[in-house]
Amino acid sequence: MNRILEEVIHRNAPIVDRIIAEHTAGYVVADNMANAVAETSFDNTSAQALVKHLNGTLVPACQSVVRDLDPTNQLTYMRVATRKFEYLVAPEEYFTITVVQ
Amino acid sequence: MSAEVEEMLKRFQNFKNIVGIMVIDNDGIPIKTTMEYNLTLHYAAVMQTLREKAQQVVLDLDATNEFTFLRLRTLRHEVLLCPEVDYFIVVLQLPCD
Repeated sequence: MNRILEEVIHRNAPIVDRIIAEHTAGYVVADNMANAVAETSFDNTSAQALVKHLNGTLVPACQSVVRDLDPTNQLTYMRVATRKFEYLVAPEEYFTITVVQ
Repeated sequence: MSAEVEEMLKRFQNFKNIVGIMVIDNDGIPIKTTMEYNLTLHYAAVMQTLREKAQQVVLDLDATNEFTFLRLRTLRHEVLLCPEVDYFIVVLQLPCD
């Protein structure tokens, strides 16, 4: 699983550079199976905390809300806005990308 | 005040993308809604738990930060959750792209 992830990350390197060049504070790519951080532009402890909180609790909660309301529907993208930042979360099949801006 | 609220709701209803707007109390009781009642109740219950969860997550990540808005995009629609002090607003719209 990690090898696939690494390949994907390598292929998307120019996209990642573009995202970072905009107003971003950083990003985290997390692997869904292990809920572990695969790649991040933050320091490791905050990235892990971010992943544990967002991916661990909020994303599954939102996914279950969406399925509850309509079983054929599926969460594709999520944006949490707070006073300081905005978290853009994109859960995919094997991994989840979170961008903070 | 109520006339203003009605006016606003009517204005937003005229946007093509909007499926429905709901104003829900902090206890999960819908105050105003433009959608069918049973569906609104369902959304109210479910969005209330979600709102509390999101608030908790944001506070956990940074105790000085505050959750201001949540946008869930799904295959069929986009759900916007806007929490206020005494109530919260849920808007259902078709995704823009």
